[in-house]
Amino acid sequence: MQGIWLYSEDTTIIKQLLTVGKELKMAMHQPIGVITLCADDANAFISAGADKVCVIKGDSTWAESYADTIADILAKEEASVFLSGGTMRGKDLAAKVAAKLQAALVTDAQTVEFTDNTIKTTRLLYGGLAIATDAVSLPALVTVPPQTYSEAVANGDTQGDIITIEVSVNKENITISNVCPIVKTGVNLSTAKRVVCVGRGLAKQEDLAMVESLAESLDAEIGCTRSIAEDYHWLSNDRYIGISGQKVKPDLYLGLGVSGQVQHVVGIRDSKTIIAVDTNEKAPIFEAADYGIVGDINEVVPLLTKALKTRYF
Amino acid sequence: MNKILVCYKWVLDEKDIKINPEDLTVNTSRAKYKISDYDKNAIEAGVLLSEAGDVTVDAVTFGVNTKQSVKDALSRGLNKVYYIADVTAEAADSFVSSNVLASAVNKIGSYDIIICGEGSSDTYNQQVAPRLATILGIPTITFVKEFTVDGNRVIATRKLGDCTEVVTVTGPVVISVLPEINKPRIPSLKQVMAAAKKPSEELKLTDLAINPECIKPKAQNLSTKGYVMNRKNIIYKEANQAVNVAKLVESIAQNGVC
Repeated sequence: MQGIWLYSEDTTIIKQLLTVGKELKMAMHQPIGVITLCADDANAFISAGADKVCVIKGDSTWAESYADTIADILAKEEASVFLSGGTMRGKDLAAKVAAKLQAALVTDAQTVEFTDNTIKTTRLLYGGLAIATDAVSLPALVTVPPQTYSEAVANGDTQGDIITIEVSVNKENITISNVCPIVKTGVNLSTAKRVVCVGRGLAKQEDLAMVESLAESLDAEIGCTRSIAEDYHWLSNDRYIGISGQKVKPDLYLGLGVSGQVQHVVGIRDSKTIIAVDTNEKAPIFEAADYGIVGDINEVVPLLTKALKTRYF
Repeated sequence: MNKILVCYKWVLDEKDIKINPEDLTVNTSRAKYKISDYDKNAIEAGVLLSEAGDVTVDAVTFGVNTKQSVKDALSRGLNKVYYIADVTAEAADSFVSSNVLASAVNKIGSYDIIICGEGSSDTYNQQVAPRLATILGIPTITFVKEFTVDGNRVIATRKLGDCTEVVTVTGPVVISVLPEINKPRIPSLKQVMAAAKKPSEELKLTDLAINPECIKPKAQNLSTKGYVMNRKNIIYKEANQAVNVAKLVESIAQNGVC
Protein backbone atom coordinates (compact mmCIF):
# COMPACT_ATOMS: atom_id res chain seq x y z
CA MET A 1 0.00 0.00 0.00
CA GLN A 2 1.41 3.36 -0.97
CA GLY A 3 0.63 6.91 -0.14
CA ILE A 4 -1.15 9.18 2.25
CA TRP A 5 -3.90 10.92 0.32
CA LEU A 6 -5.67 14.09 1.37
CA TYR A 7 -8.87 15.60 0.03
CA SER A 8 -11.24 18.40 0.75
CA GLU A 9 -13.47 20.57 -1.41
CA ASP A 10 -12.04 23.41 0.69
CA THR A 11 -8.43 24.45 0.01
CA THR A 12 -7.86 25.77 3.53
CA ILE A 13 -8.79 22.40 4.99
CA ILE A 14 -6.39 20.57 2.66
CA LYS A 15 -3.62 22.77 4.05
CA GLN A 16 -4.68 21.76 7.58
CA LEU A 17 -4.66 18.09 6.56
CA LEU A 18 -1.13 18.52 5.22
CA THR A 19 0.02 19.09 8.81
CA VAL A 20 -1.13 15.66 9.96
CA GLY A 21 -0.23 14.22 6.55
CA LYS A 22 3.40 15.20 7.14
CA GLU A 23 3.39 13.52 10.57
CA LEU A 24 2.09 10.33 8.96
CA LYS A 25 4.68 10.61 6.18
CA MET A 26 7.47 10.64 8.76
CA ALA A 27 6.04 7.61 10.55
CA MET A 28 5.04 5.59 7.48
CA HIS A 29 7.75 6.62 5.02
CA GLN A 30 5.17 7.12 2.32
CA PRO A 31 4.57 10.07 0.02
CA ILE A 32 1.70 12.54 0.37
CA GLY A 33 -0.83 12.98 -2.40
CA VAL A 34 -3.47 15.67 -2.56
CA ILE A 35 -6.72 15.39 -4.48
CA THR A 36 -8.26 18.73 -5.27
CA LEU A 37 -10.99 20.28 -7.36
CA CYS A 38 -9.12 23.62 -7.47
CA ALA A 39 -6.38 23.58 -10.12
CA ASP A 40 -5.20 27.03 -9.05
CA ASP A 41 -4.09 25.78 -5.64
CA ALA A 42 -2.03 22.79 -6.80
CA ASN A 43 1.31 24.61 -6.48
CA ALA A 44 0.43 25.85 -3.02
CA PHE A 45 -0.13 22.26 -1.87
CA ILE A 46 3.27 21.23 -3.22
CA SER A 47 5.06 24.05 -1.45
CA ALA A 48 3.20 23.07 1.74
CA GLY A 49 4.46 19.50 1.54
CA ALA A 50 2.51 17.46 -1.03
CA ASP A 51 4.58 15.11 -3.20
CA LYS A 52 1.86 14.75 -5.78
CA VAL A 53 -1.33 16.61 -6.61
CA CYS A 54 -4.23 15.15 -8.59
CA VAL A 55 -6.44 17.88 -9.95
CA ILE A 56 -9.91 16.65 -10.82
CA LYS A 57 -11.38 18.57 -13.71
CA GLY A 58 -14.99 17.59 -14.12
CA ASP A 59 -18.32 18.76 -15.41
CA SER A 60 -20.06 18.97 -12.02
CA THR A 61 -19.96 21.77 -9.47
CA TRP A 62 -21.32 19.34 -6.85
CA ALA A 63 -18.28 18.06 -4.95
CA GLU A 64 -20.17 14.94 -3.84
CA SER A 65 -20.30 13.74 -7.47
CA TYR A 66 -16.61 12.93 -7.44
CA ALA A 67 -16.77 10.04 -4.94
CA ASP A 68 -16.34 7.44 -7.69
CA THR A 69 -13.49 9.37 -9.29
CA ILE A 70 -11.68 9.64 -5.96
CA ALA A 71 -12.26 5.98 -5.14
CA ASP A 72 -10.71 5.11 -8.52
CA ILE A 73 -7.66 7.29 -7.86
CA LEU A 74 -7.15 5.75 -4.41
CA ALA A 75 -7.49 2.22 -5.80
CA LYS A 76 -5.07 2.89 -8.64
CA GLU A 77 -2.52 4.54 -6.35
CA GLU A 78 -2.99 1.78 -3.76
CA ALA A 79 -3.44 4.43 -1.10
CA SER A 80 -2.85 3.34 2.46
CA VAL A 81 -4.46 6.37 4.09
CA PHE A 82 -7.14 8.77 2.88
CA LEU A 83 -7.94 11.81 5.00
CA SER A 84 -10.99 13.81 4.01
CA GLY A 85 -11.83 17.20 5.48
CA GLY A 86 -14.77 16.64 7.82
CA THR A 87 -17.21 19.14 6.37
CA MET A 88 -20.66 17.71 5.73
CA ARG A 89 -19.84 17.38 2.05
CA GLY A 90 -16.51 15.77 2.94
CA LYS A 91 -18.18 13.24 5.23
CA ASP A 92 -20.80 12.37 2.63
CA LEU A 93 -18.13 11.86 -0.02
CA ALA A 94 -15.80 9.87 2.24
CA ALA A 95 -18.57 7.41 3.17
CA LYS A 96 -19.31 6.80 -0.51
CA VAL A 97 -15.61 6.30 -1.24
CA ALA A 98 -15.36 3.90 1.71
CA ALA A 99 -18.32 1.86 0.46
CA LYS A 100 -16.84 1.70 -3.03
CA LEU A 101 -13.46 0.55 -1.69
CA GLN A 102 -15.07 -1.68 0.98
CA ALA A 103 -12.82 0.11 3.42
CA ALA A 104 -12.77 1.39 6.97
CA LEU A 105 -13.85 4.94 7.64
CA VAL A 106 -13.46 6.78 10.93
CA THR A 107 -15.70 9.84 11.27
CA ASP A 108 -14.52 13.04 12.98
CA ALA A 109 -11.17 11.76 14.25
CA GLN A 110 -9.55 13.95 16.87
CA THR A 111 -6.15 12.32 16.37
CA VAL A 112 -4.66 10.12 13.65
CA GLU A 113 -1.39 8.29 14.31
CA PHE A 114 0.66 5.49 12.88
CA THR A 115 2.02 3.35 15.72
CA ASP A 116 2.73 -0.38 16.05
CA ASN A 117 2.34 -0.61 12.27
CA THR A 118 -1.29 0.44 12.49
CA ILE A 119 -3.34 3.56 11.93
CA LYS A 120 -4.89 4.51 15.24
CA THR A 121 -7.54 7.14 15.69
CA THR A 122 -9.45 8.67 18.57
CA ARG A 123 -13.00 9.94 18.36
CA LEU A 124 -15.94 10.80 20.59
CA LEU A 125 -18.68 8.35 21.48
CA TYR A 126 -22.09 8.66 23.16
CA GLY A 127 -22.46 12.32 22.33
CA GLY A 128 -19.04 13.18 23.78
CA LEU A 129 -19.22 11.20 27.01
CA ALA A 130 -16.36 8.92 26.04
CA ILE A 131 -13.38 8.70 23.71
CA ALA A 132 -12.82 5.60 21.60
CA THR A 133 -9.43 4.56 20.28
CA ASP A 134 -9.69 2.45 17.15
CA ALA A 135 -7.22 0.44 15.11
CA VAL A 136 -8.08 0.90 11.46
CA SER A 137 -7.17 -1.56 8.74
CA LEU A 138 -5.63 -0.29 5.51
CA PRO A 139 -6.67 1.46 3.42
CA ALA A 140 -7.68 3.60 6.37
CA LEU A 141 -10.17 6.33 5.52
CA VAL A 142 -10.63 9.08 8.07
CA THR A 143 -12.57 12.34 8.17
CA VAL A 144 -10.91 15.10 10.18
CA PRO A 145 -12.99 18.06 11.41
CA PRO A 146 -11.99 21.49 10.07
CA GLN A 147 -9.52 23.36 12.31
CA THR A 148 -8.28 20.21 14.01
CA TYR A 149 -4.81 21.10 12.75
CA SER A 150 -3.27 24.41 11.84
CA GLU A 151 -2.29 24.97 8.22
CA ALA A 152 1.01 23.45 7.08
CA VAL A 153 3.69 26.05 6.53
CA ALA A 154 4.74 26.60 2.94
CA ASN A 155 8.37 25.86 2.16
CA GLY A 156 9.54 27.21 -1.20
CA ASP A 157 12.06 24.55 -2.25
CA THR A 158 9.78 21.49 -2.36
CA GLN A 159 8.92 19.67 -5.55
CA GLY A 160 6.10 17.50 -6.70
CA ASP A 161 4.08 16.31 -9.66
CA ILE A 162 0.78 17.77 -10.73
CA ILE A 163 -1.52 15.63 -12.79
CA THR A 164 -4.94 16.51 -14.11
CA ILE A 165 -7.73 14.00 -14.38
CA GLU A 166 -10.62 14.88 -16.62
CA VAL A 167 -13.91 13.20 -15.84
CA SER A 168 -17.55 13.41 -16.72
CA VAL A 169 -19.67 12.65 -13.69
CA ASN A 170 -22.98 14.39 -14.26
CA LYS A 171 -25.90 12.05 -13.87
CA GLU A 172 -29.30 12.54 -15.46
CA ASN A 173 -31.23 11.52 -12.36
CA ILE A 174 -29.62 14.07 -10.00
CA THR A 175 -29.90 17.85 -10.25
CA ILE A 176 -28.74 20.54 -7.87
CA SER A 177 -30.40 23.95 -7.63
CA ASN A 178 -31.00 26.92 -5.36
CA VAL A 179 -27.61 26.89 -3.65
CA CYS A 180 -27.98 29.62 -1.01
CA PRO A 181 -25.48 30.74 1.59
CA ILE A 182 -26.98 30.70 5.06
CA VAL A 183 -27.22 34.29 6.23
CA LYS A 184 -25.66 34.57 9.65
CA THR A 185 -27.23 36.92 12.15
CA GLY A 186 -23.83 38.38 12.88
CA VAL A 187 -23.16 36.40 16.02
CA ASN A 188 -19.97 34.43 16.15
CA LEU A 189 -20.10 32.35 19.28
CA SER A 190 -17.01 30.31 18.46
CA THR A 191 -14.73 33.30 19.05
CA ALA A 192 -16.73 34.97 21.87
CA LYS A 193 -14.81 35.60 25.10
CA ARG A 194 -17.91 35.30 27.26
CA VAL A 195 -21.07 33.37 26.58
CA VAL A 196 -24.34 33.37 28.49
CA CYS A 197 -26.35 30.32 27.49
CA VAL A 198 -30.04 29.70 28.10
CA GLY A 199 -31.73 26.33 28.34
CA ARG A 200 -35.14 24.89 29.01
CA GLY A 201 -35.12 26.36 32.51
CA LEU A 202 -36.22 29.59 30.86
CA ALA A 203 -39.99 29.56 31.38
CA LYS A 204 -41.05 31.97 28.64
CA GLN A 205 -39.62 33.94 25.77
CA GLU A 206 -40.17 37.27 27.56
CA ASP A 207 -37.65 36.17 30.18
CA LEU A 208 -34.95 36.59 27.56
CA ALA A 209 -34.96 40.30 28.42
CA MET A 210 -33.55 39.46 31.84
CA VAL A 211 -30.88 37.29 30.21
CA GLU A 212 -29.97 40.05 27.75
CA SER A 213 -29.49 42.43 30.62
CA LEU A 214 -27.12 39.98 32.34
CA ALA A 215 -25.24 39.36 29.10
CA GLU A 216 -24.85 43.09 28.67
CA SER A 217 -23.39 43.53 32.14
CA LEU A 218 -20.87 40.78 31.32
CA ASP A 219 -20.25 41.96 27.78
CA ALA A 220 -21.19 38.45 26.69
CA GLU A 221 -22.82 36.87 23.65
CA ILE A 222 -26.02 34.90 24.12
CA GLY A 223 -26.18 31.25 23.17
CA CYS A 224 -28.77 28.56 23.81
CA THR A 225 -29.41 24.84 23.93
CA ARG A 226 -30.83 22.97 20.97
CA SER A 227 -34.46 22.97 22.06
CA ILE A 228 -34.53 26.74 22.61
CA ALA A 229 -33.52 27.25 18.97
CA GLU A 230 -34.99 24.29 17.16
CA ASP A 231 -38.12 23.45 19.14
CA TYR A 232 -39.10 26.84 20.56
CA HIS A 233 -37.46 29.14 17.98
CA TRP A 234 -36.82 31.71 20.69
CA LEU A 235 -33.29 32.31 19.38
CA SER A 236 -31.77 31.78 15.95
CA ASN A 237 -30.21 28.45 15.02
CA ASP A 238 -26.67 29.86 14.87
CA ARG A 239 -26.87 30.53 18.60
CA TYR A 240 -27.38 26.94 19.53
CA ILE A 241 -24.44 25.23 21.20
CA GLY A 242 -23.81 21.50 21.17
CA ILE A 243 -22.53 18.54 19.25
CA SER A 244 -24.45 19.40 16.09
CA GLY A 245 -24.43 23.15 16.68
CA GLN A 246 -21.73 25.63 17.69
CA LYS A 247 -18.67 24.64 19.70
CA VAL A 248 -17.60 27.44 22.01
CA LYS A 249 -14.41 28.01 24.01
CA PRO A 250 -14.87 31.29 25.86
CA ASP A 251 -13.05 32.38 28.99
CA LEU A 252 -16.40 32.35 30.73
CA TYR A 253 -19.48 30.25 30.02
CA LEU A 254 -22.56 30.91 32.12
CA GLY A 255 -25.41 28.42 31.75
CA LEU A 256 -28.88 29.51 32.86
CA GLY A 257 -31.44 26.76 33.23
CA VAL A 258 -29.23 24.46 31.18
CA SER A 259 -29.56 20.88 32.41
CA GLY A 260 -26.30 19.81 30.80
CA GLN A 261 -27.10 16.90 28.50
CA VAL A 262 -23.89 15.48 27.15
CA GLN A 263 -24.75 16.66 23.62
CA HIS A 264 -24.68 20.21 24.93
CA VAL A 265 -21.70 19.82 27.26
CA VAL A 266 -19.50 18.61 24.42
CA GLY A 267 -19.97 22.03 22.83
CA ILE A 268 -18.88 23.98 25.92
CA ARG A 269 -16.26 21.89 27.66
CA ASP A 270 -13.28 23.70 26.19
CA SER A 271 -14.43 26.83 28.03
CA LYS A 272 -11.94 28.12 30.56
CA THR A 273 -14.48 28.59 33.35
CA ILE A 274 -17.98 27.14 33.43
CA ILE A 275 -20.69 28.53 35.71
CA ALA A 276 -24.17 27.09 35.95
CA VAL A 277 -27.45 28.15 37.50
CA ASP A 278 -30.22 25.60 37.63
CA THR A 279 -33.00 24.57 40.00
CA ASN A 280 -32.12 20.89 39.88
CA GLU A 281 -29.17 20.14 42.15
CA LYS A 282 -28.71 16.80 40.38
CA ALA A 283 -28.55 18.32 36.88
CA PRO A 284 -25.46 17.02 35.05
CA ILE A 285 -24.39 20.59 34.22
CA PHE A 286 -23.04 20.90 37.77
CA GLU A 287 -20.61 18.04 37.12
CA ALA A 288 -19.31 19.99 34.15
CA ALA A 289 -19.17 23.30 36.04
CA ASP A 290 -16.49 25.08 38.05
CA TYR A 291 -19.07 27.10 39.96
CA GLY A 292 -22.77 26.64 40.31
CA ILE A 293 -25.80 28.04 42.05
CA VAL A 294 -28.76 25.83 42.77
CA GLY A 295 -31.74 28.10 42.30
CA ASP A 296 -34.39 29.58 40.09
CA ILE A 297 -32.91 31.71 37.32
CA ASN A 298 -35.74 34.23 37.75
CA GLU A 299 -34.43 34.93 41.21
CA VAL A 300 -30.70 34.49 40.63
CA VAL A 301 -30.25 36.33 37.34
CA PRO A 302 -31.44 39.79 38.50
CA LEU A 303 -29.27 39.49 41.62
CA LEU A 304 -26.28 38.44 39.58
CA THR A 305 -26.81 41.24 37.06
CA LYS A 306 -26.97 43.75 39.87
CA ALA A 307 -23.85 42.35 41.57
CA LEU A 308 -21.87 42.46 38.33
CA LYS A 309 -23.06 45.97 37.50
CA THR A 310 -22.06 47.21 40.94
CA ARG A 311 -18.69 45.65 40.43
CA TYR A 312 -17.99 47.17 37.06
CA PHE A 313 -19.85 50.44 36.86
CA MET B 1 -42.73 6.59 -4.66
CA ASN B 2 -45.10 4.72 -2.39
CA LYS B 3 -42.79 2.23 -0.72
CA ILE B 4 -40.68 3.68 2.04
CA LEU B 5 -38.16 2.03 4.30
CA VAL B 6 -36.68 3.59 7.42
CA CYS B 7 -33.42 2.34 8.95
CA TYR B 8 -33.12 2.81 12.67
CA LYS B 9 -30.58 1.84 15.30
CA TRP B 10 -31.31 0.47 18.76
CA VAL B 11 -28.71 2.14 20.96
CA LEU B 12 -27.75 2.51 24.60
CA ASP B 13 -29.25 5.58 26.19
CA GLU B 14 -26.21 7.75 26.88
CA LYS B 15 -27.95 9.47 29.75
CA ASP B 16 -27.67 6.27 31.84
CA ILE B 17 -24.01 5.66 30.99
CA LYS B 18 -21.71 6.42 33.90
CA ILE B 19 -18.01 7.20 33.86
CA ASN B 20 -15.98 5.97 36.81
CA PRO B 21 -13.94 9.04 37.83
CA GLU B 22 -11.14 6.85 39.26
CA ASP B 23 -10.10 5.00 36.13
CA LEU B 24 -12.38 6.56 33.49
CA THR B 25 -13.97 3.23 32.67
CA VAL B 26 -17.33 3.43 30.97
CA ASN B 27 -20.12 1.71 32.85
CA THR B 28 -23.05 0.80 30.59
CA SER B 29 -24.55 -1.83 32.90
CA ARG B 30 -27.45 0.41 33.94
CA ALA B 31 -28.10 1.84 30.52
CA LYS B 32 -31.35 0.96 28.79
CA TYR B 33 -31.77 0.83 25.06
CA LYS B 34 -33.68 3.35 22.97
CA ILE B 35 -34.31 4.10 19.33
CA SER B 36 -31.49 6.45 18.36
CA ASP B 37 -32.79 10.01 18.68
CA TYR B 38 -31.96 10.99 15.10
CA ASP B 39 -33.71 7.88 13.81
CA LYS B 40 -36.93 8.95 15.51
CA ASN B 41 -36.90 11.87 13.09
CA ALA B 42 -36.36 9.41 10.22
CA ILE B 43 -39.33 7.29 11.33
CA GLU B 44 -41.49 10.39 11.72
CA ALA B 45 -40.54 11.61 8.22
CA GLY B 46 -41.60 8.27 6.74
CA VAL B 47 -44.80 8.03 8.75
CA LEU B 48 -45.84 11.59 7.83
CA LEU B 49 -45.61 10.59 4.15
CA SER B 50 -47.68 7.48 4.75
CA GLU B 51 -50.35 9.47 6.57
CA ALA B 52 -50.57 11.92 3.71
CA GLY B 53 -51.13 9.42 0.93
CA ASP B 54 -51.18 5.88 -0.33
CA VAL B 55 -47.77 4.99 1.03
CA THR B 56 -46.48 2.13 3.14
CA VAL B 57 -43.56 2.67 5.48
CA ASP B 58 -41.56 -0.25 6.84
CA ALA B 59 -38.42 -0.22 8.94
CA VAL B 60 -35.34 -2.34 9.30
CA THR B 61 -32.89 -2.45 12.19
CA PHE B 62 -29.66 -4.30 12.85
CA GLY B 63 -28.31 -4.62 16.35
CA VAL B 64 -28.18 -6.63 19.53
CA ASN B 65 -31.56 -7.32 21.22
CA THR B 66 -33.38 -5.46 18.46
CA LYS B 67 -36.51 -7.52 19.07
CA GLN B 68 -37.10 -5.29 22.10
CA SER B 69 -37.27 -2.25 19.84
CA VAL B 70 -40.11 -3.50 17.66
CA LYS B 71 -43.05 -2.36 19.79
CA ASP B 72 -41.72 1.17 20.25
CA ALA B 73 -40.95 1.43 16.54
CA LEU B 74 -44.36 0.17 15.44
CA SER B 75 -46.20 2.46 17.84
CA ARG B 76 -44.67 5.39 15.95
CA GLY B 77 -46.80 4.55 12.93
CA LEU B 78 -44.72 2.11 10.88
CA ASN B 79 -46.48 -0.66 8.95
CA LYS B 80 -43.95 -3.40 9.59
CA VAL B 81 -40.55 -3.82 11.23
CA TYR B 82 -37.84 -6.19 10.07
CA TYR B 83 -35.21 -6.79 12.71
CA ILE B 84 -31.84 -8.46 12.61
CA ALA B 85 -30.65 -9.37 16.09
CA ASP B 86 -27.12 -10.65 16.11
CA VAL B 87 -24.07 -10.36 18.38
CA THR B 88 -22.04 -9.39 15.31
CA ALA B 89 -23.59 -5.97 15.78
CA GLU B 90 -21.67 -5.43 19.00
CA ALA B 91 -18.34 -4.90 17.21
CA ALA B 92 -19.87 -3.75 13.93
CA ASP B 93 -18.51 -0.60 12.31
CA SER B 94 -20.38 1.30 9.61
CA PHE B 95 -18.85 -0.99 6.98
CA VAL B 96 -20.54 -4.01 8.55
CA SER B 97 -23.81 -2.26 9.41
CA SER B 98 -24.33 -0.90 5.91
CA ASN B 99 -23.47 -4.25 4.32
CA VAL B 100 -26.01 -6.01 6.54
CA LEU B 101 -28.71 -3.39 5.90
CA ALA B 102 -28.07 -3.52 2.15
CA SER B 103 -28.42 -7.32 2.15
CA ALA B 104 -31.61 -6.98 4.15
CA VAL B 105 -33.04 -4.48 1.66
CA ASN B 106 -32.18 -6.81 -1.19
CA LYS B 107 -33.97 -9.63 0.57
CA ILE B 108 -37.16 -7.88 1.65
CA GLY B 109 -37.89 -6.04 -1.56
CA SER B 110 -37.39 -2.83 -3.39
CA TYR B 111 -38.13 0.56 -1.91
CA ASP B 112 -38.55 3.97 -3.49
CA ILE B 113 -37.21 6.02 -0.60
CA ILE B 114 -34.96 4.77 2.18
CA ILE B 115 -34.76 7.19 5.10
CA CYS B 116 -31.96 7.23 7.69
CA GLY B 117 -31.20 9.57 10.57
CA GLU B 118 -28.28 11.95 10.13
CA GLY B 119 -26.13 9.78 12.41
CA SER B 120 -26.67 7.53 15.42
CA SER B 121 -26.75 8.95 18.94
CA ASP B 122 -24.11 6.48 20.16
CA THR B 123 -21.38 6.44 17.51
CA TYR B 124 -22.58 9.29 15.25
CA ASN B 125 -20.64 7.97 12.29
CA GLN B 126 -23.01 9.50 9.73
CA GLN B 127 -21.97 6.86 7.22
CA VAL B 128 -24.88 4.47 6.80
CA ALA B 129 -26.98 6.53 4.34
CA PRO B 130 -24.21 7.22 1.79
CA ARG B 131 -22.69 3.75 2.21
CA LEU B 132 -26.04 2.01 1.83
CA ALA B 133 -26.87 4.03 -1.29
CA THR B 134 -23.48 3.23 -2.82
CA ILE B 135 -23.85 -0.49 -2.15
CA LEU B 136 -27.38 -0.46 -3.59
CA GLY B 137 -26.18 1.61 -6.54
CA ILE B 138 -28.66 4.46 -6.07
CA PRO B 139 -28.19 8.17 -5.29
CA THR B 140 -28.15 9.60 -1.78
CA ILE B 141 -29.17 12.97 -0.40
CA THR B 142 -27.67 13.56 3.03
CA PHE B 143 -28.39 16.20 5.70
CA VAL B 144 -31.93 16.89 4.52
CA LYS B 145 -33.94 19.50 6.40
CA GLU B 146 -37.11 19.17 4.32
CA PHE B 147 -38.28 17.19 1.33
CA THR B 148 -41.28 16.61 -0.87
CA VAL B 149 -42.25 13.85 -3.25
CA ASP B 150 -43.51 14.78 -6.72
CA GLY B 151 -44.35 11.86 -8.97
CA ASN B 152 -41.20 9.77 -9.11
CA ARG B 153 -38.97 12.59 -7.91
CA VAL B 154 -37.74 13.44 -4.43
CA ILE B 155 -36.97 17.13 -3.99
CA ALA B 156 -34.90 17.71 -0.88
CA THR B 157 -33.31 20.74 0.75
CA ARG B 158 -29.95 19.98 2.34
CA LYS B 159 -28.40 22.09 5.05
CA LEU B 160 -24.62 22.05 4.96
CA GLY B 161 -23.26 24.35 7.62
CA ASP B 162 -22.67 27.37 5.43
CA CYS B 163 -25.32 26.89 2.74
CA THR B 164 -28.49 25.17 1.74
CA GLU B 165 -29.16 23.56 -1.62
CA VAL B 166 -31.98 21.73 -3.31
CA VAL B 167 -31.27 18.28 -4.69
CA THR B 168 -33.75 16.57 -6.97
CA VAL B 169 -33.43 12.85 -7.59
CA THR B 170 -35.53 10.80 -9.98
CA GLY B 171 -36.04 7.19 -9.02
CA PRO B 172 -35.07 5.39 -5.84
CA VAL B 173 -32.96 7.30 -3.34
CA VAL B 174 -31.51 7.05 0.16
CA ILE B 175 -31.88 10.19 2.24
CA SER B 176 -30.55 11.12 5.67
CA VAL B 177 -32.59 13.63 7.63
CA LEU B 178 -31.53 16.31 10.10
CA PRO B 179 -33.23 16.54 13.51
CA GLU B 180 -34.86 19.86 12.55
CA ILE B 181 -36.95 18.18 9.84
CA ASN B 182 -39.78 17.36 12.26
CA LYS B 183 -40.71 16.73 15.85
CA PRO B 184 -41.08 12.98 16.47
CA ARG B 185 -44.42 12.09 17.97
CA ILE B 186 -44.86 10.64 21.41
CA PRO B 187 -47.00 7.58 20.64
CA SER B 188 -50.51 7.73 22.08
CA LEU B 189 -51.92 4.86 24.12
CA LYS B 190 -54.04 3.92 21.09
CA GLN B 191 -50.95 3.78 18.88
CA VAL B 192 -49.12 1.68 21.45
CA MET B 193 -52.06 -0.74 21.61
CA ALA B 194 -52.30 -0.89 17.83
CA ALA B 195 -48.58 -1.67 17.62
CA ALA B 196 -49.17 -5.04 19.27
CA LYS B 197 -51.25 -6.14 16.28
CA LYS B 198 -48.82 -4.97 13.62
CA PRO B 199 -46.44 -7.37 11.88
CA SER B 200 -42.74 -7.77 12.51
CA GLU B 201 -40.29 -10.26 11.08
CA GLU B 202 -36.91 -11.44 12.19
CA LEU B 203 -34.25 -11.73 9.51
CA LYS B 204 -31.39 -14.05 10.36
CA LEU B 205 -27.94 -12.94 9.33
CA THR B 206 -27.44 -16.45 7.93
CA ASP B 207 -30.42 -15.99 5.59
CA LEU B 208 -29.13 -12.77 4.08
CA ALA B 209 -26.65 -14.37 1.67
CA ILE B 210 -23.92 -12.09 2.92
CA ASN B 211 -20.23 -12.62 2.23
CA PRO B 212 -18.47 -13.43 5.54
CA GLU B 213 -15.83 -10.81 4.70
CA CYS B 214 -18.58 -8.18 4.69
CA ILE B 215 -19.40 -8.70 8.35
CA LYS B 216 -15.82 -8.42 9.61
CA PRO B 217 -15.30 -4.89 10.95
CA LYS B 218 -12.57 -2.80 9.33
CA ALA B 219 -12.12 -0.62 12.41
CA GLN B 220 -11.49 -2.30 15.71
CA ASN B 221 -12.12 -0.68 19.05
CA LEU B 222 -8.97 -0.81 21.21
CA SER B 223 -10.31 1.10 24.18
CA THR B 224 -13.14 3.38 25.27
CA LYS B 225 -12.49 5.81 28.08
CA GLY B 226 -14.58 8.49 29.72
CA TYR B 227 -13.83 12.02 28.68
CA VAL B 228 -11.81 13.69 31.45
CA MET B 229 -13.59 16.63 33.00
CA ASN B 230 -11.52 18.41 35.57
CA ARG B 231 -13.76 21.07 36.94
CA LYS B 232 -13.85 22.68 40.34
CA ASN B 233 -17.49 21.71 41.00
CA ILE B 234 -18.02 24.36 43.67
CA ILE B 235 -21.78 24.56 44.09
CA TYR B 236 -23.58 27.17 46.19
CA LYS B 237 -26.96 26.02 47.44
CA GLU B 238 -28.05 28.28 50.28
CA ALA B 239 -31.74 29.09 50.44
CA ASN B 240 -30.89 32.79 50.29
CA GLN B 241 -29.90 33.49 46.70
CA ALA B 242 -28.30 36.81 47.59
CA VAL B 243 -25.74 34.85 49.63
CA ASN B 244 -25.08 32.44 46.76
CA VAL B 245 -24.63 35.27 44.27
CA ALA B 246 -22.27 37.14 46.60
CA LYS B 247 -20.16 34.01 47.10
CA LEU B 248 -20.09 33.28 43.38
CA VAL B 249 -19.05 36.81 42.44
CA GLU B 250 -16.33 36.72 45.08
CA SER B 251 -14.97 33.37 43.87
CA ILE B 252 -14.82 34.32 40.24
CA ALA B 253 -13.23 37.64 41.12
CA GLN B 254 -10.55 35.88 43.17
CA ASN B 255 -9.84 33.51 40.34
CA GLY B 256 -9.56 36.33 37.85
CA VAL B 257 -12.43 35.06 35.73
CA CYS B 258 -13.96 38.51 35.49
